[in-house]
Amino acid sequence: MSGRKKSLLKVIILGDSSVGKTSLMNQYVNKRFSNQYKATIGADFCTKEVVVNDRVVTMQIWDTAGQERFQSLGVAFYRGADCCVLVYDVTAPNSFKNLDSWRDEFLIQASPRDPEHFPFVVLGNKVDLDNRQVSTRRAQQWCQSKNDIPYYETSAKEGINVEMAFQVIAKNALELEAEAEVINDFPDQITLGSQNNRPGNPDNCQC
Amino acid sequence: MVQGNADGSDYKERLIASVKKEVKQLMEEAVTKKYVHEESSSVTSLCGAVEACLSQGLRRRALGLFKTSSTTALLHKIAKSCPEAEHISKLVQEIEASDPSKRSSSSSDSFQRPPMLKKSSSNSMSTGTNAAASTSSASASISVSASTSSMSLASMKYLWIRLALYEKRLTKIIEYLVSNASSFYDRDSLVADPDYGSILSSLLVGPCALEFTRAKTADHYWTDPHADELVQRHRISSCRRSSSTCSRPAIINFKRSLNTSSDEAGTGSFKSIASASVAKDYVESLHQNAKATLLYGKNNVLVLPKDVAEPMPGYLSLHQHIQTLTIKWTPNQLMNGYTEAEEAEDIDKDAFWAYALNINVDEIVYVHCHQSRGEDSGGTVILVGQDGVQRPPIHFPEGGHMQQFLSCLETGLLPHGQLDPPLWSQRGIGKMFLWPRSMRRRILPSVMESVDETPIDYVFRIVSKSRHEEFAATHSILDFVRSTPRRAQLSSCSTTGSSDCSNKSLSIDQFPLESPLLLQQQQQQQQLLQAQSTSIEMVCSTMRRQIISRAFYGWLAYCRHLSTVRTHLSGLVHGRITPEMKADEEGLTKERWQLLNVNGVLDNATEFYRLVYFGGVQPELRQEVWPYLLGHYAFGSTTEDRKKQDETCKHYYETTMSEWLAVDAIVQQREKEKTARAVAKLSSGSNSGNERTVRAADLEAGGELENEVFEDISDISDPGDLEFDEQQQQQQQAECAVSGNHLTVKPIPRAMKTSTDSGHVDEGESFNELDEPDEEDNKPKQQQDEKNPESENQVPEYRKLEEQINQEPSCSASTASSYETVGPGDVHQRPTSDTRSVLSPEYLSADDLQLPDDEEAVRPPPPAAAAVIITKASVDITNWERSPKAAEGDQMSPLEEQAGESGGAGVNMDALQQPKSACASPASSNGGVYSSELLEQFGLNLHRIEKDVQRCDRNYWYFANENLDKLRNVISTYVWEHLDVGYMQGMCDLVAPLLVIFDDESLSYSCFCKLMERMIENFPSGGAMDMHFANMRSLIQILDSEMYDLMDSNGDYTHFYFCYRWFLLDFKRELVYDDVFATWEVIWAAKHIASGHFVLFLALALLETYRDIILSNSMDFTDVIKFFNEMAERHNAQSVLQLARSLVLQLQMIIENK
Repeated sequence: MSGRKKSLLKVIILGDSSVGKTSLMNQYVNKRFSNQYKATIGADFCTKEVVVNDRVVTMQIWDTAGQERFQSLGVAFYRGADCCVLVYDVTAPNSFKNLDSWRDEFLIQASPRDPEHFPFVVLGNKVDLDNRQVSTRRAQQWCQSKNDIPYYETSAKEGINVEMAFQVIAKNALELEAEAEVINDFPDQITLGSQNNRPGNPDNCQC
Repeated sequence: MVQGNADGSDYKERLIASVKKEVKQLMEEAVTKKYVHEESSSVTSLCGAVEACLSQGLRRRALGLFKTSSTTALLHKIAKSCPEAEHISKLVQEIEASDPSKRSSSSSDSFQRPPMLKKSSSNSMSTGTNAAASTSSASASISVSASTSSMSLASMKYLWIRLALYEKRLTKIIEYLVSNASSFYDRDSLVADPDYGSILSSLLVGPCALEFTRAKTADHYWTDPHADELVQRHRISSCRRSSSTCSRPAIINFKRSLNTSSDEAGTGSFKSIASASVAKDYVESLHQNAKATLLYGKNNVLVLPKDVAEPMPGYLSLHQHIQTLTIKWTPNQLMNGYTEAEEAEDIDKDAFWAYALNINVDEIVYVHCHQSRGEDSGGTVILVGQDGVQRPPIHFPEGGHMQQFLSCLETGLLPHGQLDPPLWSQRGIGKMFLWPRSMRRRILPSVMESVDETPIDYVFRIVSKSRHEEFAATHSILDFVRSTPRRAQLSSCSTTGSSDCSNKSLSIDQFPLESPLLLQQQQQQQQLLQAQSTSIEMVCSTMRRQIISRAFYGWLAYCRHLSTVRTHLSGLVHGRITPEMKADEEGLTKERWQLLNVNGVLDNATEFYRLVYFGGVQPELRQEVWPYLLGHYAFGSTTEDRKKQDETCKHYYETTMSEWLAVDAIVQQREKEKTARAVAKLSSGSNSGNERTVRAADLEAGGELENEVFEDISDISDPGDLEFDEQQQQQQQAECAVSGNHLTVKPIPRAMKTSTDSGHVDEGESFNELDEPDEEDNKPKQQQDEKNPESENQVPEYRKLEEQINQEPSCSASTASSYETVGPGDVHQRPTSDTRSVLSPEYLSADDLQLPDDEEAVRPPPPAAAAVIITKASVDITNWERSPKAAEGDQMSPLEEQAGESGGAGVNMDALQQPKSACASPASSNGGVYSSELLEQFGLNLHRIEKDVQRCDRNYWYFANENLDKLRNVISTYVWEHLDVGYMQGMCDLVAPLLVIFDDESLSYSCFCKLMERMIENFPSGGAMDMHFANMRSLIQILDSEMYDLMDSNGDYTHFYFCYRWFLLDFKRELVYDDVFATWEVIWAAKHIASGHFVLFLALALLETYRDIILSNSMDFTDVIKFFNEMAERHNAQSVLQLARSLVLQLQMIIENK
């Protein structure tokens, strides 16, 4: 019966260019860090299977281009997202400042069912660097002001907090889905019934 | 005691009941799902139940184990005397040895990471049967790909029971245990119990007969195979076709339809499609796939094909499609894919393909089964078709496989058909058709009766229910309509459509094409219809007419649509077809280049383009040839012309670069100051905990440069923190001033060096010349500086403020005037900079407000800028040698010293001025007058460029060193010249290959400008990308309707976003560098020779190269994106180019023939 549940979680990673979106994704999926990544053009995604609440789900993590010019592409990729990860670089105040616009843009383009409670997660990346410029407190304040978005400080390079953050991402995405399921339960049963009837159809329409 | 006994038997009862329940569950799963996955939860729970039974009443003492109730230990113990147990015990030990962390002795613990188990068990299973290599390798690769996932947490649980079950030896082991219960079990244990013991062993007979699969199931659908595996699978399937990938069915379809009569072309191409898809299906059949359910699969089934002396082993499988049931048999030789000596065996392989069976069960009427009398000796199945023809006999190996096959066949026939007489539903069958004793119980123990008679041959009839129903005739029409392959219709449509779609008479000719089919059908129906009433006949004919007319009109509409699309596409290619190159030609070689380039003048543009388009350019020539291709050099230009042109370009480039370098200096300075503030803020925040006040100070000082984040806190309370900031900055100033004093002149040689690499300007001389006017220029400024020694912030925009804020503190006035000295007469020389410096009132007022008195104190030291530039420069040793001299000169100049004392104001001036004067150009000193809007805009761009340049192709040898700075210079210059466009991600990738080829900044820049004329439209600001997508759609529709159907059925127009990067970067990221060069020059040449939209055809060629993979896996949008991202830099560029050229030609032919 678990087969009927959707087992794919779509996660979108957003944030300014070179905050480490690609690195975070690859650190999480492949447990690898490379300093050879190029600027992402277009979009790419990775999948990873995770166990959340004793359920195996597949996370489809979308990595996007960071320059805001390319946001117009977003529509194609944001659609049907289950969770959105906003990433900024703790050494780049501007990337933090832009979280607001990334969030807004996402909500406009993805137009989720319930924008107020759509699961976001904020990651402050590159905490392994020395020249930190955005304080934890400021980031937390911002997250609190936006409906208590979970906030983690990560380092894709050192692998700090990455696993945990994505676990939370998966969990939050699944919760959203669980709510949606309640709504969808009824139509599901209808389709099941109609499928059962189908084999009989040829007999009925022989006129 | 009695109570205890009652409890004991009660417990045993429950144990056995749970086993029963689990067995039932498992068997049901086997029947309903047609297969049982090894990691199915029902397998685990069955193992758990068995484990519970076996550990109940186990005499641990006998095993020498006191604490654990390990049944694994028991297994190892009995291994000495029981061969089955020995086998399993060995397997268990192997697994444990290969991964010592997994100790299965604590067999009820749950383990993760199944790969060991999976791998070794799959090996062991195939050793016995010598499985077809590809079967095992395919499943192995699946298990490897799936192993990273955590989906089979439980598969290490009950390891030995699990293995024994897979190996079908569990029953034997338990039988052994039961018969030797006295030595291992307590007297009142379940195993020792005379009833329960045998019940337990017999219960497990059924599960032990099942085949377990590790194949991908629907549940694991999302564990998508990697692109590599897809390509590998495709190779296996396509080994049949020896021709290259260019021979796409749809395209063949086209080519033929152009030359031959439409009838033949239609059928021919359909056949080729069909055979290709059959080949594909064979590999597909190894897996459960979206199109067909795999009901049964067995390797090493012997079949004796025609013209072959000995039966050949092969893989037999049974597939359920939506409408039909198919039996397939593939010789082992074909299952191996690309093995050793593949080419040599090509011919043989073709022969093997002829042996392969592909039987539609609908065509089969009788199933003959032969079984010899010996117990469990396999059997032979012969299928007899409607036409009475026997298919080659299928010999099953022993082990009840024939029976399993039959039962699967029967399940597959349901609900529309059945075997007559039924296999299982009637008890009497058992008498007529004898199963070996063990099989009887294995398959469905409760149903089968044990009757000991000698086995004989038996015949089943395959009955389709619909045939026996009253309205069979109607039904057969429906069937006909339903079962007519849609593809056949489509292909016949598209052939006529392509050959001549505007010709209406032909469309009527086309009509009888289908009628023979219909006639045949009608004849068949005649016989059936005789018994039917006339009314039904009328109904049928009406329906027939309706169906045919509908099909016809549909086809007509389709053709019209295609013709519209074709007209639309005609704009994509040139009408004139350039003759293709002869086989012996090799593109633009050195010799040909010398022939073409007589006396340094290249006249024959057409021939030049033709050679490049069809054969590319020899690598060594690229540096010389590319400027022509990009339109930088004009054809017919002499060497002198070009030299002059180069010089002009270089001059222009240097001039422009000096302009933005000046701005860069200011931007860097601002950057520095911002960083310093932020760091100070953080540190003071952590020191005093008084973060808020510092932020307030920032807010005030940074003005609009700082971000809004700070706005939430607006109270300014503690001036002490301000002072703190001030102190820090002054400290920094002092430091920078010292270093700055020595470094100030360095930007000169650097600017020259980077920009005059090949020009050989006498640098030393120019340096001397340049230095003097510089000093003169600085004199007035010096005076100003003396008046205002504390003024550090000579940001040029202050000049504009002058008029408005004359009464402001003297600092602004003085700085402004000092800037006026920079180039008073030249401000108007460059219109662009002129317009930039036009004052905007709103802006000024905003700036005005941002200028509190204490701002200077907060401003950081300017010399940092100069220092930063130097670190960025591609400095070489000569530069450094010169720099002390320069520094000397500086120090001798009192003015510079003064500047150093005054906190680096003069240094900042140098940073602004020297690059300009370095170029010794009258146009260069156009004044350091920049609006802060401009500064901010360019600063942001520079920041982005910096980030992307750092990340651009670091692993390519050329960019391993300071060449990245050249890249930065070229892009910055372009962005400076096109500030309205700004920097966009991807530009780096476009410049990089040019720079690699030319290794010259100014030439790269000029060519990049030419390149961008076309490319700029692809970026988000332009509209070309959407046009590309639309064109791709039309092209695919015309050239590969099957692919189009797939994309259309997925209903996602965003599909073409997977081409986004292709078009944006001209495939730069898809190919390795050498291939990028080859591809780019073809794209450029194609514009003049075949198509201005050659990229479209390249994209199509890429898609077509993998079309079979995309189609056979019915990939959707995300799959395609993933596939191509994974395939990046692994394409065969030459074959893709070739295919693209042939696609262009095809479209040209289509349009020409119209």
